[in-house]
Amino acid sequence: MCDHHDTLRSNNKDLQKVENQIDRRHFLKKTSLGLGAIALGSLLGTEKAWASIGNNGNASVNAFTQNRLGLPHHLPKAKRIIYLFQSGGPSQLDLFDYKPKLVDMFGKDLPESVMQGQRLTGMSGSQSTLPIAPSLFNFKQYGESRAWVSELMPHLSEVVDDICFIKSMQTDQINHTPAVTFMQTGHQLPGRPSIGSWLSYGLGSDNENLPTFITLISKNGKGQPLKAGLWGNGFLPTEHQGVQFRSGKDPVLYLNNPDNYDGTDRKKMLDYLDKLNTIQHDAYGDPEIQARMTQYEMAFRMQTSIPEVTDTKDEPEHIFDMYGKDSKDPGTYAANCLMARKLLEKGVKFVQLYHQGWDQHISCPGGVKNKARQTDQATAALLKDLKQRGMLDDTLVIWGGEFGRTVYSQGQLTKTNYGRDHHPKAFTMWMAGAGVKPGFTYGETDDFSYNVTKDPVHVHDFHATLLHLLGIDHERLTFKHQGRRYRLTDVHGHVVKDLLT
Amino acid sequence: MNEAPDFVLFLGRFHPLVVHLPIGFLIFAFLLEILGRRKKFEALKIAIPLALLLGFLSALVACILGYMLSLSGDYDGDMLDSHFWFGVITTALVLIAWLIRTDKINLKTDLKIKANISALTLIVILISITGHYGGNLTHGSDYLTKYLPFNKKEEKQLAKLEKVEDAIVFDYLAQPILDNKCASCHNESKQKGGLSFQDSLSIAKGGKSGATLIAGNAMQSEMIKRVLLDPHHDDFMPPDGKTPLTEDEITILKYWIDNANADFSSKVSSLETSEDVMHIAADMLGIKSASKKGDVSLPDVPKIEASILEDIMNEGFTVRELVFESNLYEVTLPTYNKNMGSNDLKVKLEKLSKLKDNILWLYVENGGLTDDQLKTISNFKNLQKLVINRNPITDEGLASLTKLESLSSLNIYGTEVSKSGLETFSKLKNLKTVYAWDTNITAKDLESFTEEESPEIVIAP
Repeated sequence: MCDHHDTLRSNNKDLQKVENQIDRRHFLKKTSLGLGAIALGSLLGTEKAWASIGNNGNASVNAFTQNRLGLPHHLPKAKRIIYLFQSGGPSQLDLFDYKPKLVDMFGKDLPESVMQGQRLTGMSGSQSTLPIAPSLFNFKQYGESRAWVSELMPHLSEVVDDICFIKSMQTDQINHTPAVTFMQTGHQLPGRPSIGSWLSYGLGSDNENLPTFITLISKNGKGQPLKAGLWGNGFLPTEHQGVQFRSGKDPVLYLNNPDNYDGTDRKKMLDYLDKLNTIQHDAYGDPEIQARMTQYEMAFRMQTSIPEVTDTKDEPEHIFDMYGKDSKDPGTYAANCLMARKLLEKGVKFVQLYHQGWDQHISCPGGVKNKARQTDQATAALLKDLKQRGMLDDTLVIWGGEFGRTVYSQGQLTKTNYGRDHHPKAFTMWMAGAGVKPGFTYGETDDFSYNVTKDPVHVHDFHATLLHLLGIDHERLTFKHQGRRYRLTDVHGHVVKDLLT
Repeated sequence: MNEAPDFVLFLGRFHPLVVHLPIGFLIFAFLLEILGRRKKFEALKIAIPLALLLGFLSALVACILGYMLSLSGDYDGDMLDSHFWFGVITTALVLIAWLIRTDKINLKTDLKIKANISALTLIVILISITGHYGGNLTHGSDYLTKYLPFNKKEEKQLAKLEKVEDAIVFDYLAQPILDNKCASCHNESKQKGGLSFQDSLSIAKGGKSGATLIAGNAMQSEMIKRVLLDPHHDDFMPPDGKTPLTEDEITILKYWIDNANADFSSKVSSLETSEDVMHIAADMLGIKSASKKGDVSLPDVPKIEASILEDIMNEGFTVRELVFESNLYEVTLPTYNKNMGSNDLKVKLEKLSKLKDNILWLYVENGGLTDDQLKTISNFKNLQKLVINRNPITDEGLASLTKLESLSSLNIYGTEVSKSGLETFSKLKNLKTVYAWDTNITAKDLESFTEEESPEIVIAP
């Protein structure tokens, strides 16, 4: 081949072997691709086949002419998602699922007819009684939709007419790690791709200067630990994993150039690095090398894009007031909500926000109250802010934890205090925005908020519905791994059409 | 009739397999005879007696197995009788032909030659007839001719409907599903399990295990129970290898049994019908469902050449196809890309005009878009969503948008639009939501703007 001088050459003996392979590879690639393209061209109509080999210049052109997955399957309603994950399992009984009849049953043992042999955790399973603990908080109906909300969420109650409550969520898991993993990846065991990774893989990026999938964890949460696998890519290519921002002043470290370096030749350096990595990739065929190349490029672009998007200097005071005073303290839930809005505005497809600490085994009233105080105003503000900017039109907001909590008290029940254990069989989540019915409540639970009595929505159904809103048929977004095709919903899930506008 | 032991039925099911052996042998014998008439191939004639003998033996086995299969009672009587007797006659004739051929029956030489040929010809004819009856039994009598060109058989032609409400639930919705997914085994000639879905009478009659449906109670009806079983269950319908019913189809059948009480003449309009069912029905009937305001269907647009798209992207626009291969696009001019391509916005938009009918969603946010440039956009007739917030736009520019009949969502927050812009909104008949926060439109202006058909206007949180 005559264009040796164009490719990187070295005198290293090890690499020379590799270089020879490159020549053969190039030859085969060019000839076979050429023949293949001619054959394809005659089959498909020529434009497409030529377009894909013709130019390598503009990455974004290729990105969509080669829509290899055939997505979206139908017209999407949402183009981005913000998932406000309330980690620990918020008590639906103290927030949204109003059960007035419980007051008369204070302290009575939860009847077996309600429990129906449900397996309990080791934490309350050995209690001699399971005393019913009615919520200490007052509920009222709000908005035109007359949705019930407890006094703990005064701000959220102002925006209930934009919210679609699902009171009949169900999961299979009763403990945190498997339950969060299940909620975020569709499987209880670690190793499957998370929701955001599937979306990044399926729909790609709207802004090449920022990651498609960003995770924010509020610093004022505290509670059961979260692990990177929750925003991991599983078996999908590595560049689809969620990028976690630090909860503090500098969400991404080392973006600044070191002293005495102006950064002007960095692009050149990366281009050379790319060439070296390409050689490695051709030699070993390890897709991780490619992922790393992509990530270096992304990091380079993030040097300019991140300071711009994380800087809240330009936000007017009344916006900070809306999100609450925490919003000026970087890394808090409120500040993260504000940052999430900015990220969404810039075209980030999926922002996964975590707020920990909703795990009220003991002192439930105090705990829930505290958590509500940390999150209520900012959550409502985010909804209002997205709405006034018109972004609620194509943004899906999701609020919810990994499971609910029990109607009976874990530990001692007093007039002013109770604890609540994990409860997978019924809990409340809500969605708002693109494509879901505003001011709507779906599903019902029994008088104990223990069993779902109408319209159950399983985690898999929730996933199927979420993908549907983004224009994806959950049965058709698949990835082959270890000999079989996987989906976010694997072999389950039904789109809950009643939730859709 | 169904008293045959399982083992007999088990053997009987081999009938369709074995039956092809005699067909092969005997047609081969016939071919040998024809070829053997030519000098060159005379030697072949030696093989004819063997072919006939094998044909006879396999035909005999096939007959016995066929009889066993008929004991299952799954097949229609008349057709079965014909098939049975033709089979028997064919077998007997093969025996006779063999006897003549091997001189077990002595005939004069010239008579013998004639007899040989005519016997073989007759055998081929008989085999064809028998086989045809057999095929009808297995696949249904219209299987062969279904796709016969130039002979579209007269189907019960249903008049095309304008509205889903006018559809007779059974004729228009339930029966097509039964025809499509069930009738290949449950018809007049092949009544698996004694059940036929040929017409309302036979459906009402049910099958061997009783009524196939209980009016008003789909979940207890055998028909629905069977299709909802685990697909690996023995009783699951349709059986292995046949296409199962889709969720939508099951929904429709349930709707027919529950809401229409399994009645054969009820119309959709007379029943309580969920939105879901309406949608499925509209799809089945090829009717666009009664459109709500803002529910504009997807337009049919021509394909755009890649070079044009590339050109547009080089101007800094992000272009994404909204539905794969629909040629419908979402176009964004991201703020960070504004300066890409050295042209100013006016030129950019003119280039974008090449794509004008193909754009469904357009985002030009905070991009210095003026009233004048908005007029270019007002020619993008298929726009459903237009996001042009934080631009120096006034009521005048906005007025040019009245041409956008498909527009359902308009975002103009942070523009200079004022009260008189409201008139534009009411002219856009599909407009559902306007985001007009931080404009000159005040809450007071909206008080007077509460017509029935007016869109929701969001001005403040």
